[in-house]
Amino acid sequence: MVTLTINDQEIQIQEGLTILQAAREMGLEIPTLCYHEALAPYGACRLCLVEMEKPRPGLVTSCSYPAEEGLVVRTDTDWVKRVRKVVLELLLARCPSSKVIRDLAQSLGVEETRFTRAGAEEELCFLCGLCVRVCREVIGRNAISFIHRGPDRRVETPFQVASEDCIGCGACAAVCPTGAIEIEDVGDTRYLRTWHTTLKLIKCEVCERYFAPQEMELLKERVLVDEEMWKVCPDCRRKLAGQRLVAASRFF
Amino acid sequence: MPLRKDATVGSNIRQAVLVCQSTGCISSKSPLIKAALEEEVAALRLAESVQIKPTGCQGLCEHGPNVTIEPEGILYTHVKVEDVLEIVRSHLRDGRPVERLFYRDAATGERIPYYRDIPFYRKQERLILRHCGHINPEEIDDYLAVGGYQALRKALFEMMPQQVVEDVKRSGLRGRGGAGFPTGRKWQYCRDAPGAPKYVICNGDEGDPGAYMDRTILEANPHSVLEGMIIGAYAIGASEGYFYVRDEYPLAVERVRRAIAQAKERGFLGEDILGSGFDFQVAIVRGAGAFVCGEETALLASIEGQLGEPRPRPPFPATSGLWGKPTVINNVKTWASVPPIITHGADWYARMGTERSKGTVVFSLVGKVNNTGLVEVPLGITLREMIYGIGGGIPNGKAFKAVQTGGPSGGCIPASMLDLPIDYETLTKAGSIMGSGGMVVMDEDACMVDVARYFISFTMDESCGKCIPCREGIQEMHKILTDITAGRGKEGDLERLEELAYVVKDGSLCALGGTAPNPVLTTIRYFRDEYEAHIKYKRCPAVVCRGIVSSACQHVCPLDQDVPAYIGLIARGQFDEAMDVIRQKNPLPGVLGRICHHPCEAECPLGEGGQPIAIQALKRFVADYELRKGIKPIPPPEKVYAEKVAIIGSGPAGLTAAYFLAQRGYDVTIFEALPVAGGMLAVGLPEYRLPKDILNLEIEAIKRLGVTIKTNTPVGQDITLKDLRDQGYEAIFIAIGAHKGLKMGIPDEDVAGVLDAMSFLRDVNWGRQVELGNKVAVIGGGNVAIDAARVAKRLGCEVQVIYRRTRAEMPAFKEEIEGAIEEGVDIRFLAAPVRVLSSDARLKGIECTRMELGEFDETGRRRPIPIKGSEFTVDLDTLIYAIRQEPDLSFLLGDGIEVSAQNTIIVDPETFATNVEGIFAGGDTVSGPATVVEAMAAGKTAAESIHRYLRGESLQREHKVTRPAVYVEPVELSAEEVDQILELGRPAMPSLPVVKRRDNFKEVHLGFTAEMAVREAKRCVRCDLESLEEARE
Repeated sequence: MVTLTINDQEIQIQEGLTILQAAREMGLEIPTLCYHEALAPYGACRLCLVEMEKPRPGLVTSCSYPAEEGLVVRTDTDWVKRVRKVVLELLLARCPSSKVIRDLAQSLGVEETRFTRAGAEEELCFLCGLCVRVCREVIGRNAISFIHRGPDRRVETPFQVASEDCIGCGACAAVCPTGAIEIEDVGDTRYLRTWHTTLKLIKCEVCERYFAPQEMELLKERVLVDEEMWKVCPDCRRKLAGQRLVAASRFF
Repeated sequence: MPLRKDATVGSNIRQAVLVCQSTGCISSKSPLIKAALEEEVAALRLAESVQIKPTGCQGLCEHGPNVTIEPEGILYTHVKVEDVLEIVRSHLRDGRPVERLFYRDAATGERIPYYRDIPFYRKQERLILRHCGHINPEEIDDYLAVGGYQALRKALFEMMPQQVVEDVKRSGLRGRGGAGFPTGRKWQYCRDAPGAPKYVICNGDEGDPGAYMDRTILEANPHSVLEGMIIGAYAIGASEGYFYVRDEYPLAVERVRRAIAQAKERGFLGEDILGSGFDFQVAIVRGAGAFVCGEETALLASIEGQLGEPRPRPPFPATSGLWGKPTVINNVKTWASVPPIITHGADWYARMGTERSKGTVVFSLVGKVNNTGLVEVPLGITLREMIYGIGGGIPNGKAFKAVQTGGPSGGCIPASMLDLPIDYETLTKAGSIMGSGGMVVMDEDACMVDVARYFISFTMDESCGKCIPCREGIQEMHKILTDITAGRGKEGDLERLEELAYVVKDGSLCALGGTAPNPVLTTIRYFRDEYEAHIKYKRCPAVVCRGIVSSACQHVCPLDQDVPAYIGLIARGQFDEAMDVIRQKNPLPGVLGRICHHPCEAECPLGEGGQPIAIQALKRFVADYELRKGIKPIPPPEKVYAEKVAIIGSGPAGLTAAYFLAQRGYDVTIFEALPVAGGMLAVGLPEYRLPKDILNLEIEAIKRLGVTIKTNTPVGQDITLKDLRDQGYEAIFIAIGAHKGLKMGIPDEDVAGVLDAMSFLRDVNWGRQVELGNKVAVIGGGNVAIDAARVAKRLGCEVQVIYRRTRAEMPAFKEEIEGAIEEGVDIRFLAAPVRVLSSDARLKGIECTRMELGEFDETGRRRPIPIKGSEFTVDLDTLIYAIRQEPDLSFLLGDGIEVSAQNTIIVDPETFATNVEGIFAGGDTVSGPATVVEAMAAGKTAAESIHRYLRGESLQREHKVTRPAVYVEPVELSAEEVDQILELGRPAMPSLPVVKRRDNFKEVHLGFTAEMAVREAKRCVRCDLESLEEARE
């Protein structure tokens, strides 16, 4: 256990946890956009920057900085606010159509932006990388990644054509903060439009509705679900699980 | 330097010819030189005693291809294949070195045979660059012969690993990749970190444009780096290492590969190195073209096969690096610094440098500097010593403007900080960085806003794009800078730019974003006025930004004359239309066509080849053409206003203000103290430069607009400013010039026979009797001095001019100086008066001292310093001084007008309004002695201000980018015509032969003929047409 001081309040947490985790334990709010508990810290959005006094003065990302004994930080100094404001203004300029970003900015006191828009008005992606990271770290498929760099950086499939690795699980869309990823099921097909990929869906053995691509079975190694459940849709899975519980309890 | 003993050749080698085979010299055909040398040496049967050896970079890259002859230590520069014969025969065979190939000092012209005597080398401490250029990088035996791998032996067999770390710590060595982190401390962290295997990595991803130190070391002495890495690996307990070399360095990759293979062969790599029990092997990984992969965590990602983008730190690579294992990453130069530290000890190393920045650093000194190349010096040397002492100063006599240190994200440091001792801390404080050692020198022709934009475009392209501040912030900064340089800058841009710069710097994930704003922040800090010029005034002082400058000539013309338009019309033979274009903005073309200082010609791009377009002569041609026909009457103004305007002074400023106000429709009266109108034009300029009848014809044309000129009417005596008001003049423009000559400030100058140049010229112009002796000296170097000298010469005197600097620095127009010398005026350079010698209060002579040129100052000129004991006397009966003039404001008693300490009238620089309502001022009265065209420009702007004032409008001026009023279709030229025009070049101005100039004041320059004018106009390359495309959109 180590003791840190956040906003003049001391807290003891396990060594190796981050400043952000310590702050959350204290009930302190630090804004984040590219952080997710299930994923390794990335440090791309810079919204979680806090001003460190010890061991070294400077701005650090609270999502990644490991707690150490004697660390002293402040989360709401003028410096932090100044950087945060400009980051939000840059986001507003990049994604003017995103309600999520507008609401976040407003909640942090930023109503408008002084900067101009370079790309499309409808742009929703701000390259937080959550989709790439979930596909790599949790799903293990690495179907999408960043291509190019700098102003040209975007998330894409290899060669920007239909992916051979995508299993259509939709984890990317689930973690995307702005809803930039388009996935739609029509009949027996799942269209992952953003990834130029279409996958055929299989039918649920119980209700016979199309529910998931066969390829999702590749998740068997990562997700602990009974073998028979892989052919059953989530609704029916729940029903079956419920039935089992009821059945099991009768034996007690 | 020990020559290699090669058993196969025998010990008869007496000379070694070292041929530089670095990338730079190779691109200048050095492999052919080497082959030719080998061939010739063999042909003359000298191969037994002469060895031809390829080496890496020898250092004086500006003067390559370089060839060094040892053991003498003679350096040949700019060697060509054709020189080989002479080198072999004359030097190697006959023992007579080839003098014409010796290095030549640009400043002194001296030829220096031995490289150790060349200041470029003498002032360096080549430690990291040791042996570069002296050994064959592809032969490990050469490295061994100069003591290679001795440090490794010492470390392995005489020191414990922790001792090695201690030595490096105590030496004070700091990372030479840019961040300057203490190397020993990094090694300690890594050594202490749990985990295996550990790695050492050499960061050879040198990406800074213009930087080639790391490349050079890898190409010229790769073993020096390898040895350092093996020692480092031993110190921290690493068993594997990587050379990460950028793919754009194929020669470096090849030489490192070869070095690794040879080291392995000899047992310096692999298992149980030299029998020490220590295992270490190393592989090469090539970069894939991303600048960002020079950042250590991005580099790690790249080696791991991941996307090359940085990771948040902590954890630091020393504890969690390659594949999560403890890793030391150091720059090529850092590794190369290690073996000497082990060999000579930490204390030896720590004796070099400053308190917190120990050792030596390698800079690549490039840009506008005479001796470009790689320079290694101890930290603490000043920028001045680097740029002038080692670099040899700025070429072509230009002034130093700024130096950018540390690469594309380095800050630009101005002339005022040339005495800054270079170390990590001082550079950071100045707003720059040490970086990997880039040093780009810029001269007066650099636009600092354009420089900032250029480097931001580089970092924008190279940003990995991961974090928002860097990716979005730099893009936005680039957009603002592009707008500013295109003339679209607006209020608030600078503030937004600065705000973004600070946030990008503070909020970015890695040092790419963290340093990218430095060029912007430093140029705003040290050159803010240039930004304001671009944003507010739509001007580019360095005349670089094409969005603002359609053509340099028009941009620098104070009157904004549409130069390419009237030149285009002359080329088409349309002289009348050309005149119309000129007169739109200039009421005195006949005058300016003769005496203007033509800043347009100084900026004409054809001037780089020594032949700027003769713009002034072309204007004069059209003016004379019209004057012969009779000046076209100017149509009366559309509107006539009731207000009366008074102008005090009928010089260029006053006449021009009158011209424009009259055209606006105002009743203008000029009050002139002297009996003639024209001011300096009438009384200052000699007749042979500006015939008075030309001036008077143009003044008459102005009067025909309805302007009244009351001569012999000084204001302040018979009429005061208050009187003018009472008489109903609602606006007054004061333009009385600067005619009072300032004295020399030497003892005894108030005796008879000592004259002020202005009075002298005026008296001669009026035909008054002037007391002039026979032996005349003129003190000064400007046009007034030369005018006085040439006038005195025509009056039959023996004339000399005494000037304290050299001819190159004389401010007078070159044509005037040439004319003076042609006419027999003696000019004594590098001399200055000390005191006047007199008897009976009458001049007898002066005592002068000789001067010599000392150190360069920031303006690029060398300071004149008196030479002690060099006093000499000049016998004279007349001394004319032309040092400086100032306005005579004695008439302004009690009028409440603000005056400066230099006795000039203070005005708002935009509107020319004084602090008193309704009173304006312009010309030399405000600026002090300046030029005719600038005075006219002031008159023109003041006229506009006065018009707005009288109409109750805002005096706020609108500034626009430079564009010609009309785009004239260029003449189609056949290929033969083009050839002929280029061959004939700029026509020489026909002039009165010198013999015909004696004893008279006939005009010396006779003007172009129509044929010459049309031909010269066709030579103009019409820079303005590039902006036509955009105008069409």
